Amino acid sequence: MPRAASRLRRSALVAFALVAPASGRAAEPDAATILRRADRAVLGESAAYTLRMTVLRPNKPERIVEMKGWKKGEDQGLVRYTAPAKERGTAYLRSGENTWLFLPSAEKVVRVGAKQNFGGGDFSNADIFRLSLIKDYDPTLAGQETVEGQDCYRLELKARDRQVAYDRVVYWVRRDGTFYPVRADYYTLSGKNLKSLLVSQPKPLGGRTRPTLMTMESRVDEGAHTRLEFLTIQDDPRLDERLFSPGALERGE
Amino acid sequence: MPPRGARSQRRGERILVPVLLLSFLSLTRAVCAQTRQLELGLEGFGYESQTSVLNRENVLGLDDHPGLGRLALGWRETHGGFRAVFRGYVERTWGTEQDETRWVVRQGYAQYWWGEGVGLRVGKQRVAWGSGLAWNPTNRLEPPKNALNTALEQEGALAARLDWAPRPWASLIVVGATTDAAPRDLPVAASADTRRTAALRARFLVKDTDVAFVASGGRNQRTLFGLDLGRDVRGALAVHAEAGLYRGSEILPPRDDTWFLRVVAGALKTRGDDAFALEYFYNGEGYSDAGVAAWLSGLDRAWGAATNPALPPAQQQQALGVYAAGAAIPYAWGLGLRRHYLHASWTRGGATSVWTGALRAVVGLSDGGCALTPGIGYAPRGNLTFNLDAVFLLGPATSEYRLSPVRGALQARVKLLF
Repeated sequence: MPRAASRLRRSALVAFALVAPASGRAAEPDAATILRRADRAVLGESAAYTLRMTVLRPNKPERIVEMKGWKKGEDQGLVRYTAPAKERGTAYLRSGENTWLFLPSAEKVVRVGAKQNFGGGDFSNADIFRLSLIKDYDPTLAGQETVEGQDCYRLELKARDRQVAYDRVVYWVRRDGTFYPVRADYYTLSGKNLKSLLVSQPKPLGGRTRPTLMTMESRVDEGAHTRLEFLTIQDDPRLDERLFSPGALERGE
Repeated sequence: MPPRGARSQRRGERILVPVLLLSFLSLTRAVCAQTRQLELGLEGFGYESQTSVLNRENVLGLDDHPGLGRLALGWRETHGGFRAVFRGYVERTWGTEQDETRWVVRQGYAQYWWGEGVGLRVGKQRVAWGSGLAWNPTNRLEPPKNALNTALEQEGALAARLDWAPRPWASLIVVGATTDAAPRDLPVAASADTRRTAALRARFLVKDTDVAFVASGGRNQRTLFGLDLGRDVRGALAVHAEAGLYRGSEILPPRDDTWFLRVVAGALKTRGDDAFALEYFYNGEGYSDAGVAAWLSGLDRAWGAATNPALPPAQQQQALGVYAAGAAIPYAWGLGLRRHYLHASWTRGGATSVWTGALRAVVGLSDGGCALTPGIGYAPRGNLTFNLDAVFLLGPATSEYRLSPVRGALQARVKLLF
């Protein structure tokens, strides 16, 4: 009996030794995996969605813009304003490193820079259209921290080139297996913290639970912040690549 | 009596409006529109007139403060790939020689897209191509922009346009267009012959650079070859260059065997709610100092003959016609009278702003003249906007803008959207 018990203990130890490293890897994925999973936590590979953007400035009434958007892959996005009426038809297109703006009053497509701000809020064009960070940044796992009450991975993201909107991003992603992004701090080359993004309000939308509110707080203009709230999301619709071309911008809604 | 071209244009509009109204009525009954937007607008433009080389002894018959008032209507409806647009106004002018009430269709077209690949648009429409902000030397299909305020809404041309996008990075546009319209926002009328144009624009995205080739030509239209480029620099600045090469001048006198080049090059930078633009324009057929002197002495001669009592009335009338045609040159089809121009603008405000501000300046580098246009906008609600622009014409007395019969302007616009 003792021999049988001893054999059982040995088998358990061997089994643990075999399994432990594997389960250790599963518990602590590498930085690239965390970032990739976080990139997909809000929107799928391609998506169609509606958004409400609320711009808040100290001592000023809040201003709301509603829009619908489409995303394909990591670097193609199109957003059209649907409200307020005076802005209806204004559209932004991102394809690769290129961003265009359609001005309905002039019926004209104008090229704009990716780093330029989006619609008068605190998000840049790159923030809106590059919801995926894996393409632009090299991630490093820099530890674990509790942020906004959540146990998180802390990732240090370093821009791959100077074209990218921010030189460095510190990114916190939930450790509970959901890989929901929680917070991001954006820094310039000189190390200045430009703004911070808070990602919150996970709830069922478009068939799965996901964060639905993104709040960008300016660190330059005190009290200035902009909220982006997803109203509807459809994951993986069939989208023609030609939707993401300047010609499609001109055609209007 | 309006020129022949104008009569044919108005005939086209007479057909166009009932067709659009019918399609609107049938649409509203037959389908539940996916999106619909109605727009009601009031526009009031007031000018300060002056006698000048282009308005000798107030030959244009302008009061001190001529102007115009407009009631504008806009309608846009989409259903799937179908879209119909109407934009027009009823206008009353005052303080001019022949005050009149008239209606003008700015745009009225129907459009259909088959998926993302092929689109057809028929009717009076803006073409609005070219990367240039204040000047578009590759676009000779539409009436020119108002030289005194390039931000005003432009009138379209009667056209049929076919878009074909075989790939996301390549597209082709073919347009057949006709127009005789001149800028209508001024108290001085400039008439133009009807231009019939066929044009083709092929656009590509090559290594993150927009590249477009343009070819156009037709009746009363110079054959033109154009190149249009645009890209951004480090994500922070958008730069563009647009060039048109054509044979024969558009500005009088006709120089039929000479090739001319027009080039626009500029940059756009936005920072927060601010947008800054700077653009240089080279107008190859523009007058040199000697050309201006010849043009002005030609006007002198024509005016002298028109007011010479020793000449028979028919000859006086003919001379007056020559004078009027020469005096209208800066407002007719050309993009500018001289060779070198600079456009600089600053605008503040975005989708979420209640107040917007703008300051635009077009500086004639050849003569030191300047058209300065500050403007403010106020949007107390998301569907209501007020805009007020002022136009100041500055510079030496002999500069292009100071020769104008208009000394300055105030332009107010109110827009209500449903």
